[in-house]
Amino acid sequence: MVSMKVEAEQYGDRKVYTVAAFNRGVAAWLARLPTVWVEGEVTELRRQQRWQSVFFTLKDPGDGACLPVSMPRGQFDALRLDLGNGERVHVYGRPELFEARGDLRFRALSIERFGLGDHLAALERLKQKLGAEGLFAPERKRRLPRFPRRVGLLTGNDAAAKRDVLTAITTRFPAARVVVAETYVQGPRAAPALVTALEDLCRAGEIDVIVLARGGGSFEDLLPFSDERLVRAVASCPVPIVSAVGHEQDTPLTDLAADVRASTPSGAARLIVPDADEVRERLTQTRRRLQRAPLHLLERKRARLDGAYGRLRALSPRATLERGYAIVRDRGRIVRVATEVASGERIDVELGQGSFSATVEEIQ
Amino acid sequence: MRFEEAQKELEQIVQQLESGQANLDDAIKLWERGEELHRLCLEQLDSAQGKIEVLKPTEPA
Repeated sequence: MVSMKVEAEQYGDRKVYTVAAFNRGVAAWLARLPTVWVEGEVTELRRQQRWQSVFFTLKDPGDGACLPVSMPRGQFDALRLDLGNGERVHVYGRPELFEARGDLRFRALSIERFGLGDHLAALERLKQKLGAEGLFAPERKRRLPRFPRRVGLLTGNDAAAKRDVLTAITTRFPAARVVVAETYVQGPRAAPALVTALEDLCRAGEIDVIVLARGGGSFEDLLPFSDERLVRAVASCPVPIVSAVGHEQDTPLTDLAADVRASTPSGAARLIVPDADEVRERLTQTRRRLQRAPLHLLERKRARLDGAYGRLRALSPRATLERGYAIVRDRGRIVRVATEVASGERIDVELGQGSFSATVEEIQ
Repeated sequence: MRFEEAQKELEQIVQQLESGQANLDDAIKLWERGEELHRLCLEQLDSAQGKIEVLKPTEPA
């Protein structure tokens, strides 16, 4: 390895390098770094017959960071990868400085396609990890409110999914109040943007349930919905979440972390808002019962009173008199024994109806 | 008052009235409260006619 001997001009006590010398120095230093594997997405792939090298930019799908890559054309063609823009690859190589321009580049020695199988494996590992942490546990699932004050809708800004969910909600429950947060739902910016929008919704106030809506798409299109950052944000969201992402057969990890999963917009609407007609009908029924209730109560009280009065009457002497008995009084005192009166005495006789006085003829 | 709470209280009042346990004075008060709750529920169903707002997004840092 060449030791870094780069000549500098001396101006008094200041050591000054030419640009070429500086670049040469940095290039020599970079050349001592080890070879490594770097993962990213292929973008801006440029390959021309008359060029010595093939160029592309390796992009980080997480935050969009870029790294220019070059590879000798012969080596690139020998790999027979037939790479296209947007494909995920692992590149083996080392950094180098393109001295003429001072540009950092990654010189590729080998490239491997990071295929669907690798994606699936990575996804499965993440699923296992988050599952082991308990993020998908059934006991974490919360009940959705029956009657949310406001519904948060997190969706793409272009999306048909947005329109479908909004229509389904307002058809079922016209009085619904919905707060829509639009954001990227695809590509490298989607996951962090979704997390931010979710936080915004939680802060908007009076939001009792949130729907995460995205229409169907390819496996790659739906990847942001399996991004660890978003999955964690969904699991820890203070507001209950309905995940309505993709179609029935898709199971992005947000589906597992959400409180409920819906496979269609109308399915989501059924979970989120009550059926206005049913609510109205139930209210009408309850009102009817409410209005009848006091009358019923009065009738019952009246019936009880009538019953008590009937018993009272049955026990009164009046009823006995009605049946043909009579009360005999001697100067106001009731006569119970014949010897209490004497012949010739005046007595008063009370009947069921009316009374009369009589004189005692004979005691028996 | 939220619709769910109002509806729940209303239904409890109806049940209480229908059970016939309440005395007449209480029954009148319960009935009045029930009517008020019913009005509250209807207002929420009718007045809040669908409102859709779009939240201004925060640019991710």
